[in-house]
Amino acid sequence: MAIWLLPPLLWFVLFMLVPYAITVFYSFGRMDGVLFAPDFSLENYRKVFFDAPYAPIILRSAWIGLLTAIFSSLLAYPVAMAMAFNLPSERARQIVYILVILPWWASYLVKAYAWKAILGPSGLINKGLMSAGLIDEPIRIFLYNDFSVVLTLTYIFTPFAVLSIYAQLERIPGSLIEAARDMGANGFEIFRRIVLPISVPGVLAGAVITFSLGFGDFLAPALLGGSDSLMISSVVISLLGVANDRPLAAAIGVTIIVLAALLISAVNRLEKRTQVRL
Amino acid sequence: MFAGAKLGVQMRNPVRLNILTIALVASASFPVAEAFADGELNLLTWEGYADDAFVKPFTEKTGCAVNPTYVSSNDEMVSKAISAGSATIDLVSPSNDATLVLIDAGAVEALDISKLPHLKDYYPAFQKPAWLTKGDDLYGVPYGFGYIRVALKEGAVPGADSVKALWDPALKGKIAIWDNLESLYLAARYVGVKDVYNMTDEELDASMKALIALKPNIVKFWASDAEFTELYASGGILGGNTTELALSKIWGEGHGDLVDIETKEKRGGWSDSWMVVKGAGENPCTYAWLDWVSSAESQAIASKVTGYAYSNAKAFDLLDDATKALLTKLKTNDPKVLNEVDWWQPVARRSKYLEVFNQAKAASAP
Repeated sequence: MAIWLLPPLLWFVLFMLVPYAITVFYSFGRMDGVLFAPDFSLENYRKVFFDAPYAPIILRSAWIGLLTAIFSSLLAYPVAMAMAFNLPSERARQIVYILVILPWWASYLVKAYAWKAILGPSGLINKGLMSAGLIDEPIRIFLYNDFSVVLTLTYIFTPFAVLSIYAQLERIPGSLIEAARDMGANGFEIFRRIVLPISVPGVLAGAVITFSLGFGDFLAPALLGGSDSLMISSVVISLLGVANDRPLAAAIGVTIIVLAALLISAVNRLEKRTQVRL
Repeated sequence: MFAGAKLGVQMRNPVRLNILTIALVASASFPVAEAFADGELNLLTWEGYADDAFVKPFTEKTGCAVNPTYVSSNDEMVSKAISAGSATIDLVSPSNDATLVLIDAGAVEALDISKLPHLKDYYPAFQKPAWLTKGDDLYGVPYGFGYIRVALKEGAVPGADSVKALWDPALKGKIAIWDNLESLYLAARYVGVKDVYNMTDEELDASMKALIALKPNIVKFWASDAEFTELYASGGILGGNTTELALSKIWGEGHGDLVDIETKEKRGGWSDSWMVVKGAGENPCTYAWLDWVSSAESQAIASKVTGYAYSNAKAFDLLDDATKALLTKLKTNDPKVLNEVDWWQPVARRSKYLEVFNQAKAASAP
């Protein structure tokens, strides 16, 4: 084995495999007072799947993740299209590329707080509506609900979808588009029969990333969510910090890891089936 | 206290002390005469409980170096104290819902109160509290404390004198509730549960239903004093359950219309205590520290640092008039009120409590 493979391999084992193994080990155990007691019980998994509120909250988190993935993809697609086909020069493409990744230079917290300020009762939207004379007092529907959570997650994670879709669209040779045009295809036909099918793997990859990030998020619901915006990550945090129920937290973690692995392998299969050789 | 719920050690302190005066008094009347050159003290504590403002005078006088390790939850403190022992930790400062766990586990030792002369200056509620007592022995020195308030904008619910005011339909979408088990206790008190720390399944179920019934009024489960303060100051809420730090801040920002309701029901209260890890009493620095942190002088300085109220009643005398007025308004120095607080206790079924609380949080408003 090449020696240069050793550091990444060590990294992978120490920081990926070992933590996963520890999590699995904990998930079969139980708490004896404040101390962990090793065991081999499926009780924690029974709780995850059959006791309220865990399974419904996992589904709810998946729903928020799905909405994030859908809206991110819808927003990202035109941007990626423009970057791939419509910008007049390489320089313009680079500028848009930088603009897309620019928000990553700011911390997640800053961006979430910024949305809180924008959507709040004395925020930009309410002030704008009031100064336009459309409302007399601030509207409170923008903040502290699922809308504000999904909006914030979509804003923060859309760049991942843009880059993923763009990476796929960039592979389409200009000659293919030209040939289609020469054969009499119009813009819509080119999009529907060439661009869209080729872009599917990029859309799927971006969707998986944004779904996963949205699904596992806990800050946006904590900062911008309403009275029922509870996500599974927050539950895990409270199990660790409030109830000291490490085995149950670990069982939820393992369940999510398995679900994520299943999702990724399904999408991988789909990506392979939709991949077009260029 | 509960994880993430430590009343956020806030440096934006409403308490204004003449710190120089206190420091001078402290240096002149330092209770420990003996210096323990090269001594060392390892603390496992909350951030703010080993601040230089009161650690430095201690180290200068005693020669004991203080090595604090900060934790974010009682569980971390308890499990480390039990597993590590006095080889690595001398003192811990858990809250009253965890102290008995340590005592029952035999992880901490009974105190020699003859070495703690300042205890006689403590408020009666903290001289021998149930959460630090086993048999005749005292196992901890009470330190910072606070109790949970129900606060509403003046006139929001006329004549409010009960936690039931929060359920008033007039408050629809207008209150914020603490994202903490304390809010489950609040719902339990609403349905008339007497011992909120040892609820039966039926009582837990009734409390969960009460909390779900409250949801139309809840706009947000707040996580920090700053969040509650911002929500009220921006007009987003008319009140909720909150802490004295948030109240002080809100009043300090000119919103004097937020009223601390004196509820008929008891109010939950937290109290941190310094406890000696078994075997650490032999370290000469340990009792020197306990003596220092129980003194009025050090607690007045600590009050400046954290903004909390402290257990030594004489610390109050060292505060300036404005601070005294604030604490009087907050009733943190009223022995009668302190005796009526339903101080937090260990909850044997915390996982079940959390499950019920999360169920209520995840439920849609009716």
